[in-house]
Amino acid sequence: MSQIEINNLCKTFRVPEREGGFWAAVRSVFRRRFRDVRAVDDVSFQVDEGEIVGFLGPNGAGKTTTLKMLSGLLHPTAGEAKVLGHVPWRREAAYLRRISMLMGQRSQLHWDLPAIDSFLVHSAVYDIPADDYKKTLDELVQLLDLGDVLKKQVRSLSLGERMKCEICVSLLHRPAVLFLDEPTIGVDITMQTRIRQFIRNYNRKHGATIILTSHYMADVTALCKRLIVIDHGHILFDGSLEALSEKLAPFKVIKIDLDRELDGYDLATLGEVLSVEQRKIALRVPKADAAAVTSRLLTDLPILDLTIEDPPIEDVISRVFGQPKSEPKQPANASSAVSGGAAR
Amino acid sequence: MSRVVRVFLAYLRAKIGVMLQYRGEILLWSIWGIINPAVLYAMWSAAASGNENQSIAGLDRGGFAAYYFVMMIVGHLTGAWDVYHLGYLIRSGQLSPMLLRPVLPIWETLADNLSYKITTLMFVVPMWALFAWLVTPRFETSLWQVGMGFIAVLLGAGLNYMLCHTAALLAFWATKLDAMGEIYFGLCMFLGGRFAPMNALPGPILAIAEYLPFRWMFAFPTELLIGKIASMNEALIGVVIQSVWLVGVVILYRLMWSVAVKRYTAVSG
Amino acid sequence: MVRALRLMTLFVQVSVQNFTAYRFDFFVRGLMSLIHVGAELVAVWTIFNNTQSLKGWQWQHMLVLVGVYRIIAGGIRISIVPNMRKLLDEIREGTFDFVLLRPVNAQFLVSIREFVIWRLTDVFLGSAAAAYGCYSLLGHVPVKQTFVFIMMLAAGFAIVYSVWLMLATLCFWFIRIQNIEMVFWNVFEAGRYPIVIYNPWVRWVLTFILPLAFITTFPAGSLLGDPATGVPPSAPYYALLIATVLLLLSGWFWRFGLKRYAGASA
Repeated sequence: MSQIEINNLCKTFRVPEREGGFWAAVRSVFRRRFRDVRAVDDVSFQVDEGEIVGFLGPNGAGKTTTLKMLSGLLHPTAGEAKVLGHVPWRREAAYLRRISMLMGQRSQLHWDLPAIDSFLVHSAVYDIPADDYKKTLDELVQLLDLGDVLKKQVRSLSLGERMKCEICVSLLHRPAVLFLDEPTIGVDITMQTRIRQFIRNYNRKHGATIILTSHYMADVTALCKRLIVIDHGHILFDGSLEALSEKLAPFKVIKIDLDRELDGYDLATLGEVLSVEQRKIALRVPKADAAAVTSRLLTDLPILDLTIEDPPIEDVISRVFGQPKSEPKQPANASSAVSGGAAR
Repeated sequence: MSRVVRVFLAYLRAKIGVMLQYRGEILLWSIWGIINPAVLYAMWSAAASGNENQSIAGLDRGGFAAYYFVMMIVGHLTGAWDVYHLGYLIRSGQLSPMLLRPVLPIWETLADNLSYKITTLMFVVPMWALFAWLVTPRFETSLWQVGMGFIAVLLGAGLNYMLCHTAALLAFWATKLDAMGEIYFGLCMFLGGRFAPMNALPGPILAIAEYLPFRWMFAFPTELLIGKIASMNEALIGVVIQSVWLVGVVILYRLMWSVAVKRYTAVSG
Repeated sequence: MVRALRLMTLFVQVSVQNFTAYRFDFFVRGLMSLIHVGAELVAVWTIFNNTQSLKGWQWQHMLVLVGVYRIIAGGIRISIVPNMRKLLDEIREGTFDFVLLRPVNAQFLVSIREFVIWRLTDVFLGSAAAAYGCYSLLGHVPVKQTFVFIMMLAAGFAIVYSVWLMLATLCFWFIRIQNIEMVFWNVFEAGRYPIVIYNPWVRWVLTFILPLAFITTFPAGSLLGDPATGVPPSAPYYALLIATVLLLLSGWFWRFGLKRYAGASA
């Protein structure tokens, strides 16, 4: 049974425009120009109970706008949505009580107070019975390893600690649907891993439905079986991780292990050279050419071992969007090493 | 053209661009400079009408209208608020990049000050005109007083700016500068002639005001411009006193600044 | 209702805790309150150094007015200003979204989250000034009028709240008007003096358009019950009426602004 169901959702914004410079500033005093921007354009999808869905796309693709409409913060220009049987933008208390939205770049904690005080306020705002509050808090404190972090002033917390508190406060009322907008932004790799782990465990234990957006591909690949890719407000793809790499990456990576070093053989005519480590070489070739290139390699070179693989999903997506990855693998250096080796 | 002047003009141009972007906000700021003197005009002319000779401190209704009309303009032209602004720049860390530039930060804050005064003119001039039309001020000003008044306004503006900026340097030591700011503005109100003409102040307060620079920033230019300072001699003495204060405050600023920067670089490293 | 009260008590508690963390401020702030009142007393001194009466208001009347001004200004700074500042900051920074995610009436929530407790000093000092003015004029503090006075203060406070809510709501359209607070204090400035000092049309505006008269002059006059102050005996009824109308109006405007924020009416 789908918990989230949206049909032909659209959102158009009107933004003022101005060129730089002194006279443009003077002119804009008298006349302002506007431009219509379609942030979300005819988006439809469904999410079932307990699913974790990754929402991917470059900056400004419409991810956050969609999440805001689903959480009732924005009213769409057109289209319909139902979450847990409610129309989100009616903002009924009964609906708001059952969802939560975490925005990684914005804090919902009181800066000057210890986090525990913000939690207390939260429990009053959501009218959480004292027993439930205590139980949930104990559980979350243990799972997130919060301990005495709660008693420190929020402004003095590290980013990672603060993010854990933000996650904790978002879950105190045990939401059935969770919108996570960049939940790991800015925190270090180990903390990212722990937050991911927590989200996965939470989803398993409580069966919460989760929609997640992230800049870090690792978040998405680790957590989401299903991905929705959005760009310029349109859905480009909706399906499993494997299907996505199939669709977006018409490439194969051929890895070969050589008997002896290359001697002036020009690999670049066969495909893009990804790396050369002594006698191990990786090549990227179009899917259609994979068979032909393989046979060429086998006849031309003294090959000990050969494998054909799909490229890693991070590479695929960052190639599509030109986004940075969480751990860059320095392909530029690798290829320069190849040309150096080829010259030798 | 010297380098500092060129840099200052560049700042001024940029700041005016910024001010124009924030025109809504600065309009709101400039309203205070209209409302405060207008309210005080209403209050003092009401008070004067209760007296037998219909006047207070030599000013009747028309006289108060002239006094507060001119004070409105003088207050706008000589205004300074660095005592708030600089503290904010220090606390928010915006001062550090300013210290990196090869020009004293005071030129940048001065450009802020002037750009505000220039850009708000398009709002305040019509309001001044409206106020004058409504209250019909009576002037007894001759041409030489206008000329001297112009000089006195310039000196008053310089004096207030420098003193306000120098007082603001205390932000390098104290964290709570809002209190300082309020005291500074309070002194301008009561000892500078903005609340009441100097002659209407109770004796003890007037006695204090004599020894402080505030009256030379506001009251003196205003009195000159409404023709209350009758002799050229008195006007010249006033301008000399203004100049002496200005020189003194500039020296104080240089001393304070060198100490303050040493402290800033030592503490916030 | 019970829940609303509980929520409010909790916010006050949190504010008090927050305040005790910054105890040093209290002394600086207390001093500032004293300086403010001192400045206002100097103003009264200066005025009555030059005249006997300000259109029927003697120095004792003026002391009561100074007191009322302080009490209301204090009340505004205890709750209205900090809450509205927080609201404006949140709208600018985008964290206002979190308010809308809460299952509580948004107007209620944004109005009760912050309390600046130490500003109570303004209320105490203002009450002292008003009581002293009243006592030196009448020789006693009249009980019945004091009740009317407190009711009028409450109505005045409700009027100020409504005006503030409407000003803050404007922020949904013009995100950068942080200085809206300046506008309020600018207009409020005119309430330092009895409205009889203004010419008839300004007086009319300050009574019916920007109902400043109901916030300072009328409460002060109703405590003294002195016809010389020019405050009509019917003022308390009008105060209640205007407060009710403005509360309704501002609530409607707020909801209209929220719709605009969510992009429903853009």
